[in-house]
Amino acid sequence: MGSVALRNIRKSYGAVEVLHGIDLDIKEGEFTVLVGPSGCGKSTLLRSIAGLETISGGDIAIDDTVINTLVPKERDIAMVFQNYALYPHMSVAKNMGFSLRLAKEPQAEIDRKVRAAAEILDLTALLDRYPRQLSGGQRQRVAMGRAIVRDPKVFLFDEPLSNLDAKLRVQMRSEIKELHQRLKTTTIYVTHDQIEAMTMADKIVVMRGGHVEQIGSPLELYDSPASIFVAGFIGSPAMNFVPARATGGRLVTEAGAPLGEAPVALSEGQSVTVGFRPEDIRLSDTGIPARLALIEPTGAETQLTLRTGETSIIMTTRDRVTHVPGDTVHIAITPGKLHCFDPETEQALRGGRQ
Amino acid sequence: MNEQPRTLYWIFLGFVGLVISTYVLFPVFWLFLASFKTQAELAQLPISFWPESPTLDAYKALFSPTHQKGQLLDWPQLIGNSFFIAISSTLIVLVFGTLAGYAFARLNFPGRDLILGGLLISRMFQGAALLLPTYRLMSMIGLQDSLIGLVLLYSAFGLPFATWIIASSLREIPKELEESAMMDGASRLQSMVLVVLPLATPALITASMWHFVGAWSEFAFASILLESNENKTVTIGLASFVELFTLEFQYVGAAATIVALPIMLVFFFGQRYFTRGLLAGAVKG
Repeated sequence: MGSVALRNIRKSYGAVEVLHGIDLDIKEGEFTVLVGPSGCGKSTLLRSIAGLETISGGDIAIDDTVINTLVPKERDIAMVFQNYALYPHMSVAKNMGFSLRLAKEPQAEIDRKVRAAAEILDLTALLDRYPRQLSGGQRQRVAMGRAIVRDPKVFLFDEPLSNLDAKLRVQMRSEIKELHQRLKTTTIYVTHDQIEAMTMADKIVVMRGGHVEQIGSPLELYDSPASIFVAGFIGSPAMNFVPARATGGRLVTEAGAPLGEAPVALSEGQSVTVGFRPEDIRLSDTGIPARLALIEPTGAETQLTLRTGETSIIMTTRDRVTHVPGDTVHIAITPGKLHCFDPETEQALRGGRQ
Repeated sequence: MNEQPRTLYWIFLGFVGLVISTYVLFPVFWLFLASFKTQAELAQLPISFWPESPTLDAYKALFSPTHQKGQLLDWPQLIGNSFFIAISSTLIVLVFGTLAGYAFARLNFPGRDLILGGLLISRMFQGAALLLPTYRLMSMIGLQDSLIGLVLLYSAFGLPFATWIIASSLREIPKELEESAMMDGASRLQSMVLVVLPLATPALITASMWHFVGAWSEFAFASILLESNENKTVTIGLASFVELFTLEFQYVGAAATIVALPIMLVFFFGQRYFTRGLLAGAVKG
């Protein structure tokens, strides 16, 4: 097991820099998820840690040993690829034992480790099958098995669930998390799916355009996003944003409707972007007037789309909604659930009053 | 509903195929049958189709030492020479074609695609245009009338196409498989040998077959470069037979059958790889 430290990692393809100095510390045994939209550099960063890409600057260290110049085989890292990358001409057992055979371990030892890993992953009955004879979920498990048998310092996952259908994805998500809780191997997991990130991670690294936007536990990111980007990326449905200004320690929309108490100290009349999550809104008798545009029941909760002038606001409620589209309703935001962002820098405004 | 027209369509296709193959194969078959006839039977009229009393005399004669001293040439030696040339140059082409094909498929170097395309252009030269320059070149470096010289020459001619076939098929193999092998602790060479090449077997077999058959049956360059009798190949032997035995055609038939045999065996055993190799990339397997 190992800790991973990234110091000012840069990566350029020719004149184009895709990673602009990434700093990241991952503790031993931690499950870290790199998340961000496609093209944000998360996969490049993962491949750099694996040694499949050379970095243009900075240091990668595992257990305080800098591994920048080591080839992948010397790094003691295992990786699960998006398309599983199982060797088609080898049986499941051979696939899983491949690394051990390369390391010239005795056959008895290889068999023992492969069996043990197959046991964990419920693959014992499939050891003699070939990858083409397996379902997507089984292939996924073999790919993990191949990583497990090596007992490496770090596991890397590169969007491992994106080729699976929705139901299987949820199931495998739990399996991977359980596996991590059992093996406690330091894991770095790349995904573009914020729900995967939220459900699996000890620590989430939100990336955008080759920068780290924010690092934190899932709930830290959810409760106090550092920027409009993170606030909009984490959580589903996404956070609502409305332009607002401060007046007497309170926030009002530009039309003058009251939003609530400002969570931070603001100067009188200061323009801010206010964010609030769909589940922090409730229908009330007073508050912001809005026209109900759409009602989407999902069973347990109902999602409402509201229009206030130009802006759309999404809210979710677990109450049954008796209104019909076209009705004018009033909404109020749960006190203490407002987030303030600088409209220019899009960064969260912090400090002052809590 | 449309079972009927489909069946008719296949019957029609089968019929056309039958006509074409009869047209193409009949002379070959005729020669094959002739090799089992006696000279008297070959000379008689009306012509018999099936040998009246099939005999292996012609084959025996080709391999009997007493005949070899005469006009019949030393067939064991011719066959040995041809095998030597075909197998050696196939091995050379396979080894270098694989390494070069891998480089074209996986490494990034300036002008890669241009060079790979250029390899195909080299196939467009008519061999005949190269006969004279090649002869001059080979005699200048002292490789005329040498089996090694011919091995090198065939390898040089065969390498571009083999490289191209192998490179195209290696490109179809997902890069992640190799990356995965490297994560598993393989060196580049190990990942190539243990993961990539087993998956490229159809292409390797195709390239080898292609080259072997070409080298085995090559005539033009062999005939201008090889002079001494002990260096001659089966194709040269066969050509001189046709001149020598216009009447004793059973010898020509037997020799032609022997020359054709390795090619037929190669295709018989390699057929399924052959089509797969050439189709690589057309469909995802």
